[in-house]
Amino acid sequence: MIHFSNVTKFYEKQAALKNITFSIEKGEMVFMTGPSGAGKSTLLKIIYLSEKPDEGSVTIAEWDLSKLKESSIPFLRRNIGVVFQDFRLLDNRNVFDNVAIALRIRGMLDSEIQEWVMEILKMVNLRHKADSFPQALSGGEQQRVVIARAIVGEPTILLADEPTGNLDPDTAAGITRLFKEINARGTTVVIATHNRELYRNTGRRVLRIDGGNMVGEEIG
Amino acid sequence: MYLLYSFRLALQSLWREKWINLLSVLTIAAGLFMITLTFFLVYNIDLATKRLPARFSVMLYLNDGLSEQETGSIIAQVKKNNAVEQAKYIAKDKALQELKGVLKNADYILEGVDENPLPASIEIKLKKEAVNIASVKKVAAEIKKIKGIAEVEYGEQFLNSLHSIKGMAKAGSLSLIIIMSAGVIFVCYSTIKIAFYRRKEEIETFKLLGATRGFIRAPFVIEGGVLGIFGGIAGAAAALAFYYVLFYKVTATIPILKILVFPLETFPALPAAGLLLGIGGAVIALGRIRFS
Repeated sequence: MIHFSNVTKFYEKQAALKNITFSIEKGEMVFMTGPSGAGKSTLLKIIYLSEKPDEGSVTIAEWDLSKLKESSIPFLRRNIGVVFQDFRLLDNRNVFDNVAIALRIRGMLDSEIQEWVMEILKMVNLRHKADSFPQALSGGEQQRVVIARAIVGEPTILLADEPTGNLDPDTAAGITRLFKEINARGTTVVIATHNRELYRNTGRRVLRIDGGNMVGEEIG
Repeated sequence: MYLLYSFRLALQSLWREKWINLLSVLTIAAGLFMITLTFFLVYNIDLATKRLPARFSVMLYLNDGLSEQETGSIIAQVKKNNAVEQAKYIAKDKALQELKGVLKNADYILEGVDENPLPASIEIKLKKEAVNIASVKKVAAEIKKIKGIAEVEYGEQFLNSLHSIKGMAKAGSLSLIIIMSAGVIFVCYSTIKIAFYRRKEEIETFKLLGATRGFIRAPFVIEGGVLGIFGGIAGAAAALAFYYVLFYKVTATIPILKILVFPLETFPALPAAGLLLGIGGAVIALGRIRFS
């Protein structure tokens, strides 16, 4: 599903990723861990095409990114749900509209959107907050809105960048359960985190990154 | 279809910044009103020059002492020319009579003149399509070759001046229309550019969620179009007020202005022109949208 081959990425001559090679299979749930600044976010950005690798090749769901036309990028992105570290919620829209936007972009009809969004909000336990605005939600609730927006379009890949960053342990555990549920439906899930508790005893693959290098792999 | 949603986004954005947008609409209206006035001017100059062929004539002065038969032959030859619509013979006596009529109280000028100094002449009217410098020159040259014609007069200088004035007015007006249209496009461009920057964060999020260029552009293009249409409507209202004041108020004081004509088709054309210029400005403002 995701294949990196000798990928290197520079930011102003400083290497953020160095010769990274790994593969993630369809339906897998993989953790990426390492200290802050290790290159986890850069790696995710390359997957959702926000950044381009300077060297090496990347294949996502059989799309070779180096051969991908710019006009095809939106269509590939629709197959990738992203839980952004900074949430990227639209402050001037309520929870319903924040989730619905992912479907409006896909050209879905209003009647279908209504049903679909409410279903997803029920799944993340936010149905009662559909009319609330992001500022009125707690950090955990905001995180769940972002997850709802990321999965509402039924992507084949779900990426999460530090999804439990500022959450208390109970809320973080709830979020992790949610990811497991999503993964159980067949979605490939990649979670970048420096929180050990998130992947401990999960039995899932953990890729270790440090200083832009892939330094190891273990089972959590 | 996301068009309905794009309309909603555009209208929300227009309402959110209603005062800036109102200012843009008024500026667009002023530009379109100026274009209307320029068009009105050119239209009337064009109309005036189109009316000219009916009044335009070429005078052929004949040699003295021609017989009736020779004169008849000259008229027949003149009428053979394809550009000639009609030819009217003016005898020496008739010419003198007409001159006296024109001089009226100043007929002392002719005192002491025993012999009629005026030549017999033929006044010819040309066909509508032949009243232009090149054609008139050609006809004059052809007719001058006819034996018995002493002189051909057609007001060359007048025709040249008229042609130059018409050309200059058209070129000046066209330049003004282009400049004003560019101004209207620029107003729309700036308004949409500001709106685009204001929503930059949101647009970045849309891109990351898989929005196409069409989805991102549509609300802004609609915004540009709406600004243009409203500018056009306001411009048309101003033009209507101008029309009312000119044709109902000013002509009461200066009746000669009644000869002016206001093309009424301009009113519905203004919102359409505004729409096109608005969309044009928005498209330029958005430029190429990049995804990576």
